[in-house]
Amino acid sequence: MKTQSSTTSKLLHRVLLNGEEIIVSEDEPLLTQLERAGIQIEYQCREGFCSSCSLKLLRGNVAYPVEPMAWVQSGYLLACCAIVKSDIEIAFFVE
Amino acid sequence: MSYSTFNRKRFDSLKEPMFFGENVNVARYDQQKHPIFEKLIEKQLSFFWRPEEVDLSTDRKDFQKLEQHEQHIFLSNLKYQTLLDSIQGRSPNVALLPIVSLPELETWIETWSFSETIHSRSYTHIIRNIVNDPSVIFDDITVNAEITKRADSVSKWYDDLIELVNLYNTLGLGTHLVPGKGEVTVSMPILKRALYLTLVSVNVLEAIRFYVSFACSFSFAERTLMEGNAKIIRLIARDEALHLSGTQHIINLMNSGKDDPEMADIAQACEKEVYQIFMEAAEQEKEWASYLFKDGTMIGLNAEILSQYVEYITNIRMQAIGLDPVFPTKQNPIPWINAWLVSDNVQVAPQEAEISSYLVGQIDNDLDDSDFDDFDL
Repeated sequence: MKTQSSTTSKLLHRVLLNGEEIIVSEDEPLLTQLERAGIQIEYQCREGFCSSCSLKLLRGNVAYPVEPMAWVQSGYLLACCAIVKSDIEIAFFVE
Repeated sequence: MSYSTFNRKRFDSLKEPMFFGENVNVARYDQQKHPIFEKLIEKQLSFFWRPEEVDLSTDRKDFQKLEQHEQHIFLSNLKYQTLLDSIQGRSPNVALLPIVSLPELETWIETWSFSETIHSRSYTHIIRNIVNDPSVIFDDITVNAEITKRADSVSKWYDDLIELVNLYNTLGLGTHLVPGKGEVTVSMPILKRALYLTLVSVNVLEAIRFYVSFACSFSFAERTLMEGNAKIIRLIARDEALHLSGTQHIINLMNSGKDDPEMADIAQACEKEVYQIFMEAAEQEKEWASYLFKDGTMIGLNAEILSQYVEYITNIRMQAIGLDPVFPTKQNPIPWINAWLVSDNVQVAPQEAEISSYLVGQIDNDLDDSDFDDFDL
């Protein structure tokens, strides 16, 4: 009999930021996982309306379980509510 | 065209642009051209708070203990915030309601502006608690050169738009002879340009200008000083984050041309001025930081750090409306501010909040045997 009751997903993806690679899962939004990895991300509301945690999405896909209230510019993601769905490359500001 | 408080024309409000279409007639929210404004209204209503619910009795004692230069920082920020919210408590209504064309946006403007009046009321609550004569503070707002300089740059965009819309609503499009002004041309592109630049200036006001004050308030609270004030500022910051989302949506909808194709051309044509508005505001806020700290700094904050923060937050806000960041500061020099700005644990009742002066279940180790003298089993 299987005793493992964990419902967490096994899907892991690589996040590339300023040459650094972080492994994230699909279980939590990107922001909390980046913070846990010691990366400082701007935030305010943490619920998708203030757009402070907007990051440039250079490559890959993210999804939003609930559509955020903030306007998400094309080519950007909202870290507080985005679930990473593939390997992605992100940046803080457009260079 | 003159403004009508109940437009009798029959039209499909789902096909109207946000501004300069038909005057709104029926206030209905069952259908929306832009559902985001309905969501903003709902969110703002869920945020409702009353300043009097926040206890400020400890702040009075704290204020009296502050160094003189710290009192200057605290009071100057309060004056500046009072100015900003005096403007925001009325101007969206006066400037935007006569030209808005969607019921959900009309109500968002009213809801937004109303919440600013709560902020103004909270400044009276704070000032009453820390000084014996509030008039000394309030009366300085209209004469203090550092404050009035800012009042001019914040209000001039609103005032220009209001003047043009007044002419449009009384005399219509065309060139009009205005006493004291000479000939003034009112055309749809001129009106839309004035509207667009006003919205940019409002976005700057709510998304950048407030943040120097926020930083100072939270810096006091980091030292467990003026914590009641910090609690109010957190509630204000949460509201302002929602308001800036509103203006970012309006501006981005305009930029996209999805709402009104002509607006996208106007937005593109005045891009240079938009950059100037952002940069001018950032420079003014940096000057403000120098004025605040002219007689001395605070622990953990000085004019230079605050200036870097202004540059950083300006970059963030510019990016949010599709502009390129202009300042070199790409890292937050005061990352601790975000823990204060975060909305999810903003609560009003002291027993529910994380105020360090309200700690339950503390252990007092400073006891000796005599403390148990009158203790019988």
